Amino acid sequence: MNQSENNFKDLKNLLKLKRHEVPPPGFFNQFSDGVIARIREGESRGAGSFAERLNDSAPWLVRFLRIFEAKPGVIGGFATSLCLLLLFGVVLAERSESGPQNILTASSGQADSLVSSPSLASATTPEFGSADGGIAISTNASLQPVASVFGQPSGAASLFQSASFAPAH
Amino acid sequence: MIMSEPATTPDPNTPAGMLEGDLVKRARRGDLHAYDELVKRYQERIYATIYHMTSNHEDANDLAQEAFIKAYSALKSFKGGSSFYTWLYRIAVNKTINFLKQRKNKFHLSLNDIDFNAEHDPDLMALISDKTPTREVGLSELQKKLNEALLRLSEPHRMVVVLHDVQGQSHDEIAEIMGCNIGTVRSRLFYARQQLQGHLAEYIKP
Repeated sequence: MNQSENNFKDLKNLLKLKRHEVPPPGFFNQFSDGVIARIREGESRGAGSFAERLNDSAPWLVRFLRIFEAKPGVIGGFATSLCLLLLFGVVLAERSESGPQNILTASSGQADSLVSSPSLASATTPEFGSADGGIAISTNASLQPVASVFGQPSGAASLFQSASFAPAH
Repeated sequence: MIMSEPATTPDPNTPAGMLEGDLVKRARRGDLHAYDELVKRYQERIYATIYHMTSNHEDANDLAQEAFIKAYSALKSFKGGSSFYTWLYRIAVNKTINFLKQRKNKFHLSLNDIDFNAEHDPDLMALISDKTPTREVGLSELQKKLNEALLRLSEPHRMVVVLHDVQGQSHDEIAEIMGCNIGTVRSRLFYARQQLQGHLAEYIKP
Protein backbone atom coordinates (compact mmCIF):
# COMPACT_ATOMS: atom_id res chain seq x y z
CA MET A 1 0.00 0.00 0.00
CA ASN A 2 2.94 2.34 0.80
CA GLN A 3 4.27 1.74 -2.69
CA SER A 4 0.97 2.80 -4.21
CA GLU A 5 0.85 5.83 -1.89
CA ASN A 6 4.28 6.84 -3.24
CA ASN A 7 3.08 6.32 -6.79
CA PHE A 8 0.28 8.79 -6.21
CA LYS A 9 2.32 11.35 -4.24
CA ASP A 10 2.21 14.03 -6.94
CA LEU A 11 -1.46 13.43 -7.54
CA LYS A 12 -2.16 13.86 -3.84
CA ASN A 13 -0.18 17.08 -3.85
CA LEU A 14 -2.21 18.27 -6.81
CA LEU A 15 -5.45 17.39 -5.05
CA LYS A 16 -4.35 19.67 -2.21
CA LEU A 17 -5.31 22.52 -4.50
CA LYS A 18 -8.97 21.62 -3.94
CA ARG A 19 -8.60 22.51 -0.27
CA HIS A 20 -7.70 26.06 -1.23
CA GLU A 21 -10.93 26.62 -3.17
CA VAL A 22 -13.07 28.79 -0.95
CA PRO A 23 -16.61 30.17 -1.37
CA PRO A 24 -17.22 33.94 -1.54
CA PRO A 25 -16.36 35.87 1.67
CA GLY A 26 -19.16 35.85 4.25
CA PHE A 27 -20.87 32.88 2.63
CA PHE A 28 -20.89 30.78 5.80
CA ASN A 29 -22.06 33.69 7.97
CA GLN A 30 -25.44 33.59 6.24
CA PHE A 31 -25.63 29.90 5.39
CA SER A 32 -27.17 28.65 8.65
CA ASP A 33 -29.65 31.56 8.68
CA GLY A 34 -30.82 30.48 5.23
CA VAL A 35 -31.27 26.88 6.37
CA ILE A 36 -33.21 27.85 9.50
CA ALA A 37 -35.38 30.30 7.53
CA ARG A 38 -36.28 27.57 5.03
CA ILE A 39 -37.11 25.14 7.85
CA ARG A 40 -39.37 27.76 9.51
CA GLU A 41 -41.01 28.52 6.18
CA GLY A 42 -41.70 24.83 5.61
CA GLU A 43 -43.11 24.38 9.11
CA SER A 44 -45.46 27.35 8.84
CA ARG A 45 -46.59 26.24 5.42
CA GLY A 46 -47.14 22.67 6.58
CA ALA A 47 -49.08 23.62 9.69
CA GLY A 48 -50.99 26.55 8.21
CA SER A 49 -52.73 25.27 5.15
CA PHE A 50 -54.82 22.13 5.03
CA ALA A 51 -55.43 22.74 1.33
CA GLU A 52 -51.72 22.63 0.52
CA ARG A 53 -51.22 19.40 2.45
CA LEU A 54 -54.23 17.93 0.66
CA ASN A 55 -52.79 19.12 -2.63
CA ASP A 56 -49.56 17.28 -1.84
CA SER A 57 -51.26 14.04 -0.81
CA ALA A 58 -54.26 13.91 -3.18
CA PRO A 59 -53.95 16.38 -6.06
CA TRP A 60 -56.70 14.60 -8.02
CA LEU A 61 -59.20 15.33 -5.24
CA VAL A 62 -58.27 19.00 -5.20
CA ARG A 63 -58.69 19.20 -8.99
CA PHE A 64 -62.10 17.53 -8.70
CA LEU A 65 -63.26 19.92 -5.96
CA ARG A 66 -62.10 22.93 -7.96
CA ILE A 67 -64.74 22.11 -10.59
CA PHE A 68 -67.40 23.26 -8.13
CA GLU A 69 -65.70 26.50 -7.18
CA ALA A 70 -67.96 29.44 -8.08
CA LYS A 71 -70.25 27.13 -10.07
CA PRO A 72 -73.41 26.63 -7.96
CA GLY A 73 -75.32 25.39 -11.00
CA VAL A 74 -72.86 22.56 -11.50
CA ILE A 75 -72.87 21.50 -7.86
CA GLY A 76 -76.71 21.79 -7.78
CA GLY A 77 -77.00 19.59 -10.84
CA PHE A 78 -74.51 17.13 -9.41
CA ALA A 79 -76.46 16.92 -6.13
CA THR A 80 -79.78 16.50 -7.96
CA SER A 81 -78.41 13.75 -10.14
CA LEU A 82 -77.05 12.00 -7.03
CA CYS A 83 -80.51 12.21 -5.36
CA LEU A 84 -82.24 10.90 -8.47
CA LEU A 85 -79.75 8.08 -8.71
CA LEU A 86 -80.44 7.17 -5.09
CA LEU A 87 -84.21 7.28 -5.61
CA PHE A 88 -83.92 5.20 -8.75
CA GLY A 89 -81.87 2.67 -6.85
CA VAL A 90 -84.45 2.41 -4.07
CA VAL A 91 -87.34 2.01 -6.52
CA LEU A 92 -85.43 -0.57 -8.51
CA ALA A 93 -84.65 -2.52 -5.37
CA GLU A 94 -88.30 -2.41 -4.34
CA ARG A 95 -89.44 -3.56 -7.75
CA SER A 96 -86.99 -6.41 -7.81
CA GLU A 97 -88.47 -7.64 -4.50
CA SER A 98 -92.11 -7.40 -5.65
CA GLY A 99 -91.45 -8.15 -9.33
CA PRO A 100 -92.65 -11.80 -9.44
CA GLN A 101 -95.80 -10.85 -7.57
CA ASN A 102 -96.63 -8.17 -10.12
CA ILE A 103 -96.12 -10.58 -12.93
CA LEU A 104 -98.48 -13.04 -11.31
CA THR A 105 -100.95 -10.24 -10.56
CA ALA A 106 -100.96 -9.33 -14.18
CA SER A 107 -101.45 -12.98 -15.11
CA SER A 108 -104.41 -13.23 -12.71
CA GLY A 109 -106.38 -10.98 -15.05
CA GLN A 110 -105.79 -13.47 -17.77
CA ALA A 111 -106.80 -16.20 -15.39
CA ASP A 112 -110.09 -14.41 -14.67
CA SER A 113 -110.86 -14.32 -18.34
CA LEU A 114 -110.07 -17.98 -18.49
CA VAL A 115 -112.35 -18.61 -15.52
CA SER A 116 -115.26 -17.14 -17.43
CA SER A 117 -115.02 -20.16 -19.63
CA PRO A 118 -116.73 -22.96 -17.68
CA SER A 119 -115.00 -25.76 -19.41
CA LEU A 120 -111.61 -24.46 -18.54
CA ALA A 121 -112.67 -23.43 -15.06
CA SER A 122 -113.90 -26.79 -14.18
CA ALA A 123 -110.72 -28.32 -15.30
CA THR A 124 -108.39 -26.04 -13.43
CA THR A 125 -109.85 -24.91 -10.14
CA PRO A 126 -111.46 -26.91 -7.38
CA GLU A 127 -113.77 -23.89 -6.71
CA PHE A 128 -115.68 -24.63 -9.83
CA GLY A 129 -114.90 -28.28 -9.86
CA SER A 130 -117.02 -29.14 -6.82
CA ALA A 131 -120.66 -28.77 -7.50
CA ASP A 132 -121.84 -29.66 -4.04
CA GLY A 133 -120.16 -26.80 -2.31
CA GLY A 134 -117.01 -26.75 -0.13
CA ILE A 135 -114.17 -24.46 0.43
CA ALA A 136 -112.75 -22.63 -2.51
CA ILE A 137 -109.05 -22.02 -2.16
CA SER A 138 -107.16 -19.89 -4.49
CA THR A 139 -103.62 -21.10 -4.99
CA ASN A 140 -102.54 -17.95 -6.74
CA ALA A 141 -99.79 -16.35 -4.69
CA SER A 142 -100.39 -12.94 -6.21
CA LEU A 143 -103.71 -12.78 -4.48
CA GLN A 144 -102.14 -12.89 -1.02
CA PRO A 145 -102.32 -9.56 0.84
CA VAL A 146 -99.13 -7.52 1.17
CA ALA A 147 -98.58 -6.70 4.81
CA SER A 148 -96.54 -3.56 4.32
CA VAL A 149 -94.66 -1.37 1.93
CA PHE A 150 -91.28 -0.14 3.24
CA GLY A 151 -92.00 -1.99 6.50
CA GLN A 152 -95.19 -0.09 7.34
CA PRO A 153 -98.84 -1.07 6.95
CA SER A 154 -100.05 0.15 3.67
CA GLY A 155 -103.32 0.76 1.97
CA ALA A 156 -101.82 -0.87 -1.07
CA ALA A 157 -102.73 -4.18 0.51
CA SER A 158 -106.36 -3.53 -0.30
CA LEU A 159 -105.46 -3.42 -3.95
CA PHE A 160 -104.82 -7.11 -3.84
CA GLN A 161 -107.55 -9.65 -3.85
CA SER A 162 -107.83 -11.47 -0.55
CA ALA A 163 -108.07 -15.21 -0.22
CA SER A 164 -111.57 -16.42 -0.12
CA PHE A 165 -112.59 -19.04 2.40
CA ALA A 166 -116.31 -18.60 1.74
CA PRO A 167 -118.24 -21.71 0.85
CA ALA A 168 -118.81 -21.97 -2.82
CA HIS A 169 -122.36 -22.18 -3.99
CA MET B 1 3.27 43.41 33.60
CA ILE B 2 0.89 42.44 30.89
CA MET B 3 -1.88 40.15 31.98
CA SER B 4 -2.83 37.63 29.37
CA GLU B 5 -6.53 37.54 28.64
CA PRO B 6 -8.11 34.31 29.89
CA ALA B 7 -9.26 31.97 27.21
CA THR B 8 -13.02 32.22 26.82
CA THR B 9 -14.77 28.91 27.14
CA PRO B 10 -18.30 28.75 25.78
CA ASP B 11 -21.10 28.56 28.30
CA PRO B 12 -22.35 24.95 28.41
CA ASN B 13 -25.90 26.26 28.81
CA THR B 14 -25.81 27.98 25.43
CA PRO B 15 -26.01 26.01 22.16
CA ALA B 16 -22.41 26.95 21.30
CA GLY B 17 -21.12 25.24 24.43
CA MET B 18 -23.25 22.11 24.23
CA LEU B 19 -22.12 18.65 23.23
CA GLU B 20 -23.32 17.26 19.92
CA GLY B 21 -25.58 14.69 21.62
CA ASP B 22 -27.37 17.35 23.68
CA LEU B 23 -27.83 19.55 20.64
CA VAL B 24 -29.33 16.64 18.70
CA LYS B 25 -31.75 15.85 21.55
CA ARG B 26 -32.88 19.46 21.72
CA ALA B 27 -33.18 19.73 17.94
CA ARG B 28 -35.35 16.60 17.90
CA ARG B 29 -37.72 18.40 20.26
CA GLY B 30 -37.95 21.22 17.72
CA ASP B 31 -35.34 23.59 19.18
CA LEU B 32 -34.14 25.49 16.12
CA HIS B 33 -31.43 27.33 18.08
CA ALA B 34 -29.83 23.98 18.82
CA TYR B 35 -30.12 22.92 15.20
CA ASP B 36 -28.66 26.24 14.08
CA GLU B 37 -25.58 25.41 16.13
CA LEU B 38 -25.34 21.97 14.51
CA VAL B 39 -25.55 23.58 11.07
CA LYS B 40 -22.77 26.01 11.98
CA ARG B 41 -20.53 23.18 13.17
CA TYR B 42 -20.78 21.10 10.00
CA GLN B 43 -21.69 23.56 7.22
CA GLU B 44 -18.16 24.00 5.93
CA ARG B 45 -17.39 20.29 5.63
CA ILE B 46 -20.76 19.43 4.11
CA TYR B 47 -20.59 22.30 1.65
CA ALA B 48 -16.99 21.47 0.69
CA THR B 49 -17.78 17.82 0.02
CA ILE B 50 -20.70 18.70 -2.22
CA TYR B 51 -18.74 21.46 -3.95
CA HIS B 52 -15.84 19.13 -4.75
CA MET B 53 -18.32 16.62 -6.16
CA THR B 54 -20.21 19.12 -8.34
CA SER B 55 -17.53 21.73 -9.09
CA ASN B 56 -20.35 24.25 -8.95
CA HIS B 57 -20.83 26.75 -6.13
CA GLU B 58 -24.56 27.37 -6.70
CA ASP B 59 -25.40 23.67 -6.87
CA ALA B 60 -23.32 23.02 -3.76
CA ASN B 61 -25.12 25.79 -1.88
CA ASP B 62 -28.57 24.45 -2.81
CA LEU B 63 -27.69 20.82 -2.12
CA ALA B 64 -26.03 21.60 1.21
CA GLN B 65 -29.09 23.55 2.36
CA GLU B 66 -31.40 20.76 1.23
CA ALA B 67 -29.26 18.19 3.04
CA PHE B 68 -29.52 20.13 6.32
CA ILE B 69 -33.28 20.62 5.86
CA LYS B 70 -33.80 16.94 5.13
CA ALA B 71 -31.69 15.99 8.14
CA TYR B 72 -33.83 18.20 10.38
CA SER B 73 -37.08 16.69 9.10
CA ALA B 74 -35.64 13.17 9.52
CA LEU B 75 -34.16 13.76 12.98
CA LYS B 76 -36.91 11.69 14.60
CA SER B 77 -35.72 8.67 12.63
CA PHE B 78 -32.10 9.18 13.75
CA LYS B 79 -31.51 6.28 16.12
CA GLY B 80 -28.03 7.30 17.22
CA GLY B 81 -26.39 4.13 15.86
CA SER B 82 -23.71 6.32 14.29
CA SER B 83 -22.63 9.85 15.09
CA PHE B 84 -24.85 12.69 13.92
CA TYR B 85 -21.94 13.87 11.79
CA THR B 86 -21.72 10.54 9.90
CA TRP B 87 -25.51 10.38 9.51
CA LEU B 88 -25.61 13.92 8.15
CA TYR B 89 -22.76 13.15 5.76
CA ARG B 90 -24.66 10.14 4.46
CA ILE B 91 -27.69 12.29 3.69
CA ALA B 92 -25.52 14.85 1.89
CA VAL B 93 -23.66 12.19 -0.09
CA ASN B 94 -26.85 10.42 -1.21
CA LYS B 95 -28.47 13.70 -2.17
CA THR B 96 -25.43 14.73 -4.19
CA ILE B 97 -25.11 11.40 -6.00
CA ASN B 98 -28.83 11.44 -6.88
CA PHE B 99 -28.49 14.99 -8.17
CA LEU B 100 -25.49 14.11 -10.32
CA LYS B 101 -27.22 11.04 -11.74
CA GLN B 102 -30.21 13.16 -12.76
CA ARG B 103 -27.95 15.78 -14.30
CA LYS B 104 -25.98 13.02 -16.05
CA ASN B 105 -23.08 14.50 -18.01
CA LYS B 106 -24.28 18.09 -18.23
CA PHE B 107 -21.55 19.72 -16.20
CA HIS B 108 -21.28 23.44 -15.72
CA LEU B 109 -18.21 24.60 -13.85
CA SER B 110 -18.72 27.40 -11.36
CA LEU B 111 -15.46 27.31 -9.46
CA ASN B 112 -14.66 29.13 -6.27
CA ASP B 113 -11.60 31.32 -5.99
CA ILE B 114 -8.33 29.90 -4.73
CA ASP B 115 -7.24 31.43 -1.45
CA PHE B 116 -3.99 33.28 -0.90
CA ASN B 117 -2.35 30.40 0.97
CA ALA B 118 -2.23 28.23 -2.15
CA GLU B 119 0.58 30.35 -3.56
CA HIS B 120 2.67 29.55 -0.50
CA ASP B 121 2.19 25.81 -0.64
CA PRO B 122 5.58 24.36 -1.74
CA ASP B 123 4.07 21.11 -2.96
CA LEU B 124 1.69 22.95 -5.23
CA MET B 125 4.33 25.34 -6.48
CA ALA B 126 6.57 22.44 -7.37
CA LEU B 127 3.89 21.11 -9.68
CA ILE B 128 3.46 24.27 -11.69
CA SER B 129 5.26 24.13 -14.96
CA ASP B 130 8.18 26.47 -15.58
CA LYS B 131 6.55 27.40 -18.85
CA THR B 132 3.64 29.07 -17.06
CA PRO B 133 4.11 32.86 -17.30
CA THR B 134 2.83 33.69 -13.83
CA ARG B 135 1.95 31.58 -10.84
CA GLU B 136 -1.62 32.91 -10.66
CA VAL B 137 -2.42 31.79 -14.18
CA GLY B 138 -0.78 28.47 -13.48
CA LEU B 139 -2.95 27.79 -10.44
CA SER B 140 -6.16 28.78 -12.23
CA GLU B 141 -5.36 26.51 -15.14
CA LEU B 142 -4.43 23.70 -12.81
CA GLN B 143 -7.67 24.18 -10.88
CA LYS B 144 -9.76 23.95 -14.05
CA LYS B 145 -7.95 20.85 -15.32
CA LEU B 146 -8.18 19.17 -11.94
CA ASN B 147 -11.95 19.78 -11.67
CA GLU B 148 -12.52 18.57 -15.21
CA ALA B 149 -10.55 15.42 -14.49
CA LEU B 150 -12.56 14.78 -11.33
CA LEU B 151 -15.82 15.18 -13.22
CA ARG B 152 -14.72 12.44 -15.61
CA LEU B 153 -14.77 9.90 -12.78
CA SER B 154 -17.94 8.05 -11.85
CA GLU B 155 -19.80 9.43 -8.81
CA PRO B 156 -18.73 6.69 -6.34
CA HIS B 157 -15.07 6.94 -7.41
CA ARG B 158 -15.12 10.71 -7.26
CA MET B 159 -16.74 10.60 -3.83
CA VAL B 160 -14.03 8.34 -2.44
CA VAL B 161 -11.24 10.58 -3.77
CA VAL B 162 -12.93 13.69 -2.43
CA LEU B 163 -13.59 12.22 1.01
CA HIS B 164 -10.12 10.67 1.37
CA ASP B 165 -7.61 12.79 -0.53
CA VAL B 166 -9.32 16.17 -0.24
CA GLN B 167 -11.34 15.98 2.99
CA GLY B 168 -8.92 13.67 4.80
CA GLN B 169 -11.47 11.10 6.00
CA SER B 170 -10.31 7.61 6.99
CA HIS B 171 -11.24 4.46 5.07
CA ASP B 172 -13.50 3.39 7.96
CA GLU B 173 -15.40 6.66 7.97
CA ILE B 174 -15.83 6.59 4.20
CA ALA B 175 -17.11 3.01 4.34
CA GLU B 176 -19.68 4.02 6.95
CA ILE B 177 -20.74 7.13 5.06
CA MET B 178 -21.05 5.34 1.72
CA GLY B 179 -22.55 2.16 3.15
CA CYS B 180 -19.92 -0.20 1.73
CA ASN B 181 -17.01 -2.21 3.13
CA ILE B 182 -13.44 -0.98 3.52
CA GLY B 183 -12.16 -3.22 0.70
CA THR B 184 -14.52 -1.51 -1.71
CA VAL B 185 -13.33 1.89 -0.51
CA ARG B 186 -9.68 0.91 -1.05
CA SER B 187 -10.25 -0.52 -4.51
CA ARG B 188 -12.34 2.47 -5.59
CA LEU B 189 -9.66 4.83 -4.32
CA PHE B 190 -6.91 2.99 -6.19
CA TYR B 191 -8.88 2.90 -9.43
CA ALA B 192 -9.93 6.55 -9.14
CA ARG B 193 -6.32 7.67 -8.53
CA GLN B 194 -5.15 5.69 -11.55
CA GLN B 195 -7.80 7.34 -13.69
CA LEU B 196 -6.94 10.80 -12.42
CA GLN B 197 -3.25 10.25 -12.96
CA GLY B 198 -4.00 9.37 -16.57
CA HIS B 199 -6.18 12.45 -17.10
CA LEU B 200 -3.62 14.76 -15.47
CA ALA B 201 -0.46 13.18 -16.85
CA GLU B 202 0.91 16.44 -18.28
CA TYR B 203 0.70 18.13 -14.86
CA ILE B 204 2.21 15.33 -12.83
CA LYS B 205 5.90 14.54 -12.98
CA PRO B 206 6.63 10.94 -13.98
